[in-house]
Amino acid sequence: MKTLVALSLLTAASLAAQSPPAAAPRPGGNMLISRTVPDAAAVERGQKIFVGNCGFCHGTTAQGGDGGPDLVRSPLALDDERGDKIGPVLEQGRPGRGMPAFHLPADQVQDIAAFLRSRQQAAIDRNAYSILNVVTGDREKGREYFNGAGRCHTCHSPTGDLAGIAKKYDAVALQSRLLYPRPRANDVQPVHPQVTVTPASGQAFSGSLEYLDDFNVALRDASGDYHSFSRDAHLKVEVHDPLAAHAELLKKYTDADMHNVLAYLVTLK
Amino acid sequence: MRLKLATLALVGSGLSAQSLDPALLLKPPTDTWPTYNGDYSGRRFSPLAHINSSNVTAMTLAWEYRLDPGTGTLTSSIKSTPLEVNGVLYFTLPDHAWAVDARTGRQIWHYQWESHGGIHIGSRGFGMYGSWLYFETPDNYLISLNAKDGTERWHVEIADVKQEYFSTPAPIVIRNHIIVGVGGDSLDVPGYLESRDPETGQLQWRWNTTPRKGEAGAETWPNPEAMEHGGGMTWVPGTYDPELNLYYLGTGNPNPVMAGQGRKGDNLWTCSIVALNPDTGKLAWYFQASPHDTHDWDAAETPVLIDGQVDGRPRKLLAQSSRNGYFFVLDRTNGKNILSKPFIELNWSKGLDAKGQPIGNPDKEPKADGTFVIPALGGAANWPSPSFDPETGLFYVNASSSYSLYYLTDTGDKPEGYGGRDSGVYSTLALKAIDYRTGQIRWTHEYNRGGGSIGILTTAGKLLFTGDPSGNFVVYDPANGKILWHAHLIGNISNGPMTYELDGRQYVVVGAGDTLYGFTLLQ
Repeated sequence: MKTLVALSLLTAASLAAQSPPAAAPRPGGNMLISRTVPDAAAVERGQKIFVGNCGFCHGTTAQGGDGGPDLVRSPLALDDERGDKIGPVLEQGRPGRGMPAFHLPADQVQDIAAFLRSRQQAAIDRNAYSILNVVTGDREKGREYFNGAGRCHTCHSPTGDLAGIAKKYDAVALQSRLLYPRPRANDVQPVHPQVTVTPASGQAFSGSLEYLDDFNVALRDASGDYHSFSRDAHLKVEVHDPLAAHAELLKKYTDADMHNVLAYLVTLK
Repeated sequence: MRLKLATLALVGSGLSAQSLDPALLLKPPTDTWPTYNGDYSGRRFSPLAHINSSNVTAMTLAWEYRLDPGTGTLTSSIKSTPLEVNGVLYFTLPDHAWAVDARTGRQIWHYQWESHGGIHIGSRGFGMYGSWLYFETPDNYLISLNAKDGTERWHVEIADVKQEYFSTPAPIVIRNHIIVGVGGDSLDVPGYLESRDPETGQLQWRWNTTPRKGEAGAETWPNPEAMEHGGGMTWVPGTYDPELNLYYLGTGNPNPVMAGQGRKGDNLWTCSIVALNPDTGKLAWYFQASPHDTHDWDAAETPVLIDGQVDGRPRKLLAQSSRNGYFFVLDRTNGKNILSKPFIELNWSKGLDAKGQPIGNPDKEPKADGTFVIPALGGAANWPSPSFDPETGLFYVNASSSYSLYYLTDTGDKPEGYGGRDSGVYSTLALKAIDYRTGQIRWTHEYNRGGGSIGILTTAGKLLFTGDPSGNFVVYDPANGKILWHAHLIGNISNGPMTYELDGRQYVVVGAGDTLYGFTLLQ
């Protein structure tokens, strides 16, 4: 049964197609990295050897430098396993291309290979890329938008529900959440749409929306009881989604509005 | 003449009960579904009408087959559209292939490949030539199996997994050409399409999706290094016009994916619809759906061939609902644009250039502090198959109105890999029926939740089969979007639905997660 759950997750998440999402489960962990992750100590040793011997021409990050090619995207360096391809190149040099020979012991060659693999994997593992500074907006304009055009203040208050919000979430998370705070596993105060279902008989059921599609609707009422209904023309379904205003606002935001509101929200500590 | 040659080759490879008559590749699919899209057109329209709008309420489950991977593991949902040939269904998952009885869903054989790695995101299925089946693996092997028993005949490597390629498409067979594509945009490798020999797997030709130094198109890149690391993957099967002898393909996004500063220019022939001669791999024409893309919007979606009318004259057309949110109609004889119109509300385009290609707004490229972009990275549409119904004249697509934040994470002169990240914000999904003559949306069925695109089939029974994002398999009236039938499956449908007729019964087959379902009429 676990397999089935994982598969339905994959179904929903897999449409990025060429861009597998971070959440896609794969035996062994990170879906993007299918080769052995090098030992961290070897990478550290290899970096020192590389910077000292190779950095001048290939750059200290191995992305290419003064005359030496990029080794992060180098087919030979990618083909390498523990120095088996770069070792002979180091030993013999590339006389035709101005690269001298380097007579390094095998363990140092392997350390360089470990460093290059770590550089390659850092480029490959896009889900681990660091997001740079996102707080670039105008705080005052953000406050104006919050209380004016954005109408955020009709539901939120900087001294009420948003007091200390910048302590709960970092700026990157806040940027995403201010646009649309979709329910997440670690939510402090989860938000659930509410629903009222009224069958032809007239007795209405209200509660937290559990399920809704074109054919069925289900809710859990205040006493915790679960109710489900087949939808037809005689069944009235009224959904109150507290996030509906966020969805509406998505069509109106400019990038400046978004950056300004974020600059304001990060002050709510 | 071409057909005679193909038939001779078939005799040479040994006829059997499991052999495909190549003439069937040139006909609309009825008792046979011999290629990824059912036929070469990519319309995913079946002339079958046994199941139709007057009796579809009596459609019921005939069988189901839950994948048995033997000693292996399942790493993807069913994305493969099964082939159906002589009463047998053939389909694949990464590293796995199956044959099941098309009447009962009973497993006939299972084949497992010992993997050397690669991203195991999906496998779109088989191509077939005579008695031989062909599929691609995440570690980039083209494998030929005997349709009779699933035994391996040979395997050849078509790309190097160590360079971060992985392969997902279903090979397309045109005469004696096995056309194979590759994928992988983790580390800026160049894309290509190849034709392989059906008997040996040897290379017949290779077409590079980016130019090399001095070649045409090089002027759209800043330097040779950028184009040789420029991406442009070939991961969705294309379509074919036998009269024009042109193979149509949508190419993937350029690399580095989100950081465009090291590849200034239009970056041909990435994010393009191209026409190639399948005998030589020579480019006949191109149309670029997203010049200088920085949003991962592959233009790989199926180029659907429509024999239609424009201004009262019969025309050979090609239509694509592209990942970037535009619906394009081209003249497929020469690639000239006839129509470019968004099928969702998008926010990244400043209009069209003289060739009908969208002009990207530089303000909507990824930025260090985040840019808010519609559609999201997964796009308004994606690889799941759209459908064109010649009887309604409508093109159907499950369209995602989606929102993402795009971040530039590498602001240097020479970024590598993605050079950026995205963060999905919100989406809604809707089934849309588009008039190919105007781009107007004739009807829309809004779902009450978001998600990515979902595959579609239409039939002469005046039916449209697709899934919703809540796990239902649903039949609509293609004329107006009225719901006629539904069943809740184990998960969202994950491949394109297909259909065939055997012994006077019509079956509709669809995959959801790890289960393949066969439906037919109650008897």
